[in-house]
Amino acid sequence: MQSTVPTSPWPLLRRSVRRHWRRLTPGYVLLAVWQLCETLVPVAIGVVVDRGIESESTSRFVTSLLVLVALMSTLAFSYRFGSRFIVRALEEESHLLRTEIAGHVLHPRGARTDQLPGEVLSLATGDAERVGQVVYQLAYTIAALLSVVIVAVYVLQVDLVIGLLILVGVPAVTLVIQVVTPLVARRSERQQESIATASGLATDLLHGLRPLKGIGGEDVAFGRYRTVSRRAQHDTVSVARSWGYLGGLTTLLSGLLLAAVALVAGQGALDGDLSLGELIALVGLTQFLAEPIAQLGEVSAQFGGAFGSARRISAFLASPRLQPPADTALAVDSTAPRLTLEDVHSGPLAGLSVSVAPDEILALVVDDPAVADTLMTLLHAETSPEHGRVSLGDVALVDLDVDDRRRHLVVSPHSAQVPAGTIGTTIDPGGSLGADRLERVLAAAAADEVVALHPEGLERVVSERGTSLSGGQRQRLALARALATDAPVLVLHDPTTAIDSVTEQGIADGLRDLRNGRATLVLTSSPALLQAADRVVVVHGGRVVLTGSHAQLLDDPGYREDVLR
Amino acid sequence: MSTLLPTADRRTTARLAWRLVRTRRVPLAATFVTFAVTGLAGLVPVWMIGRIIDAVREDSGTDAVVRAVVLMVVAGVVGALSTAASNAALALAAAPALAELREEVLDRALHLDVATIERAGTGDVVARVGDDVRKLTESLDEAVPALLGSVMAVGFTAGGLFALDWRLGLAGLAIVPAYASSLRWYLPRSAPVYAQERISSGARAEALVAGLDNAPTLRALAREREALASIESRSRDTVEVTMTVFRLYTRFGFRGNYSELLGLTLVLTAGFLMVRSGAGTVGEATTAALFFHRLFNPIGALMYVFDEIQSSGASLARLAGVAGMPVPPASDHDVHPRPALELRGVSHSYEPGRPVLHDVDLVVSHGERVAVVGATGAGKTTLGAIAAGTLPVDQGAVLLAGRPLGDLDPVTLRTHVALVSQEVHVFAGSIADNLRLADGSAPDEVLWDAVALCGAEPWVRALPDGLDTAVGSLANPLTPAQAQQLALARVVLRDPDLVVLDEATAEAGSSGARELEQAALAVVAGRSSIVVAHRLTQAVSADRVVVMHDGRIVEQGTHDELVAAEGRYAALWQAWSSPA
Repeated sequence: MQSTVPTSPWPLLRRSVRRHWRRLTPGYVLLAVWQLCETLVPVAIGVVVDRGIESESTSRFVTSLLVLVALMSTLAFSYRFGSRFIVRALEEESHLLRTEIAGHVLHPRGARTDQLPGEVLSLATGDAERVGQVVYQLAYTIAALLSVVIVAVYVLQVDLVIGLLILVGVPAVTLVIQVVTPLVARRSERQQESIATASGLATDLLHGLRPLKGIGGEDVAFGRYRTVSRRAQHDTVSVARSWGYLGGLTTLLSGLLLAAVALVAGQGALDGDLSLGELIALVGLTQFLAEPIAQLGEVSAQFGGAFGSARRISAFLASPRLQPPADTALAVDSTAPRLTLEDVHSGPLAGLSVSVAPDEILALVVDDPAVADTLMTLLHAETSPEHGRVSLGDVALVDLDVDDRRRHLVVSPHSAQVPAGTIGTTIDPGGSLGADRLERVLAAAAADEVVALHPEGLERVVSERGTSLSGGQRQRLALARALATDAPVLVLHDPTTAIDSVTEQGIADGLRDLRNGRATLVLTSSPALLQAADRVVVVHGGRVVLTGSHAQLLDDPGYREDVLR
Repeated sequence: MSTLLPTADRRTTARLAWRLVRTRRVPLAATFVTFAVTGLAGLVPVWMIGRIIDAVREDSGTDAVVRAVVLMVVAGVVGALSTAASNAALALAAAPALAELREEVLDRALHLDVATIERAGTGDVVARVGDDVRKLTESLDEAVPALLGSVMAVGFTAGGLFALDWRLGLAGLAIVPAYASSLRWYLPRSAPVYAQERISSGARAEALVAGLDNAPTLRALAREREALASIESRSRDTVEVTMTVFRLYTRFGFRGNYSELLGLTLVLTAGFLMVRSGAGTVGEATTAALFFHRLFNPIGALMYVFDEIQSSGASLARLAGVAGMPVPPASDHDVHPRPALELRGVSHSYEPGRPVLHDVDLVVSHGERVAVVGATGAGKTTLGAIAAGTLPVDQGAVLLAGRPLGDLDPVTLRTHVALVSQEVHVFAGSIADNLRLADGSAPDEVLWDAVALCGAEPWVRALPDGLDTAVGSLANPLTPAQAQQLALARVVLRDPDLVVLDEATAEAGSSGARELEQAALAVVAGRSSIVVAHRLTQAVSADRVVVMHDGRIVEQGTHDELVAAEGRYAALWQAWSSPA
């Protein structure tokens, strides 16, 4: 989409209006026309009374009514079409923001944010909508200002004193209302936050439902939700109170303004300076002004809400990428590149050097889970090592173009979440695998048994997070998915920890068959997989301590301790 | 495909709404009174304008004008006070009702069985607790004040018209059929689209949750673009549905504008005829027209409220659907303090005609550790879930100390049987928050003991704030092994008689498995346990090994007996201990 993302609220809001100008221009014009007509309705009533009813002539009455008909028809048409433009722009803007927010997290290079998924969800829904509403608020602000100006101009022509009263009174009233609006804005923001917290907590609890139910933690969990829900309730009441102050103040001030105009105009009419029609129009118009005054008074509070949302969204979009920017993104320089770690120091890694030849299966035995995790983070190119180098071919991983890297190097994580879809689309998202190849892949990962379990086979739908499958089934699908990529370099992290030993043996054979002539790095301590590897490298204390074949290494008592369980 | 959770019918929804507000009589009564006062106060200025006009026509002097203006000022003050009071009164009545509703929905969702929630998709539930509640909150903020305010304004203004002259009142009433016909046109057309809008926003939330939650995995697998494309297309769908609703709404509003014109014309015509025949004054005609003009906004608001009621009614119905789902039965009896577990002829199928367990019998004695092994898909997890009571039994019986498991309410059940499943989840919050899910009142020392027993003490001590360190997917990420240690520590805190561990060490990865195994052994010590395991080290030390195949128990005995028997277990053991 756009190359530069606004990183502060104002530019974000400006962009929200600017990028919909084609819709907003006709929308604003039509809504201004609508507001103009609405304002003139009391004037038209004055005309009908003055020229029509007062005259007691049917023909003059009917003619005066025609003015009203024309006015209200224009009003109806301009609102009907003008508001559609505005709402379309609002919806499109929310949609763009929503996609942009999701796209920030789902960017190939990731995003380093401290928000929980539930909070991002609330950014992508509630906050995106509130920012979108700016175009709407702007429309009504323009219309309200316009009607104040029209009224003032009309009134000035009729009576200078009343005109000045309105010209001074309306801004004064609007200004006084601003005493309360910051309170409304502050409380609204707090309410939005507490509602977002509540929905974030609900999401998190529902995602952990299985572990939660396993130990009967439902009631404690519910107690936590109730605490935040009550806070949201409290905040809702306090927002309503502040809206009450705002509404009350608006009612009071516009009522006083109307009374003042009524007094001056009534006296003027008594003195004969004003006609009856003028009196009606003046008072009617002033009474009508209560609407735009309330509108203008509230707009800063509404805008405050939108501004708060814009601030949250822009701060989120400004969060940096997990992977350093590859302005000078490089391509992988070989079709069969070598994956190399040279003297890597990073967290628990203390000078790790490993190189995977383009045609070997290398098994890595590590003694510490933290070493494995750090290694995976480095291989995902989510960080650079503190010292040393992780490279594919001759290029450091972090300098590679993301897509090119992922084409050549597939790193299959241990937490084998399966995206929603069918078993077929899980294994082969592009649908590009031939039937023969697919069959071989399924067999190699022992996933053919998973497919055979169900009459729908490959078409079977796997639910969100793959929870309709058992752990072992998910692991087999994840392995099949990794093998299906046929990547020149494949990294597998403990691919068989939830799989029984007989099946594991079959997988080891399948791996040898399918990865023949390609580079494969397996982090494992499974004897079956170690046996299948060309070379085994043992890592202790963050560095390599032993290298050899499984058979050779079995002579080493430390190695036997590591891998024979 | 996913089966969404139920949506309540109109009667159930209305009953629920009534039940929620019924108990809040004082704020509710205050709401009505204050809105009525506001409505009356709003009418006074127009009435006074009519007085001023007549005073001008009759030339009755400044006093009449001043009196009218003073009354306008008084009405302004009263209206201001009542406006402020009415907002607060309404919130005091409605906000607790809304909080009660969303709590009830989450409570019910937490107590539903996992399969139902997952069939519906977590997104569906989240959309209800999140989106639908927000929708209702907005309705409360806007529509309800509008409704009450409008009803009062319309009522008083119509009364005012009749008070001026019955003919003017009748002329004003003539627009009722016009509005009624636009409602009859609009409501049946918009209802299905609103329902569609809710569904598509649920689907959108589900796509968002799936994408945002799994973002790291999706990136690693180069699947992030697909997830984004799915979010984009669902979001696009909701935009189009919303626009369809809005186009309908503008056509409805358009009809409303013409109804206003019709009404105003009728009132003016009545005024004209009355003035010409001498039955009324120009001031009355003017007041009537201004009264009627004043109705434009409340009537428009009222129409908007019908619209809101319809759409927030859809939200309420979705919430009521969850709130109305059956409550798990409560039991009045406690079970024997030291129960043993018996499974008698248990069968289970997730889908009709495809049983995953066939006629399984299993007895676990007090303090016995039973290891369940077998190939993937043999039914081990299902057996574990049934033994722990998280899955209902289709056929056969599960008895805890002789009492059917299904008779126990979930809370009583979990003081006796705990399950640690394959799924690891770190709850957003502190380590202590994660642990206290098992025992809300456990003091810190007890938490530390549990953490130490599970071998997690060293790394918890190393965290910046110890037990109070915030963890969770995007706070301090924990490894699956650490998360599982916390899960085991929760079992210690729960202190059940029987523990079911379903592959509790599988997620750890090879290097953490041994530590977790130690932790698991420590947790089950002194309790009865069923340990579903593929790591046969856990079988070697078990009191008994149960081998499953295709949903049946095919071998049982100690490790040594089964190895000697040279059956399936012997083959597994062979492959495990010394691969070819």
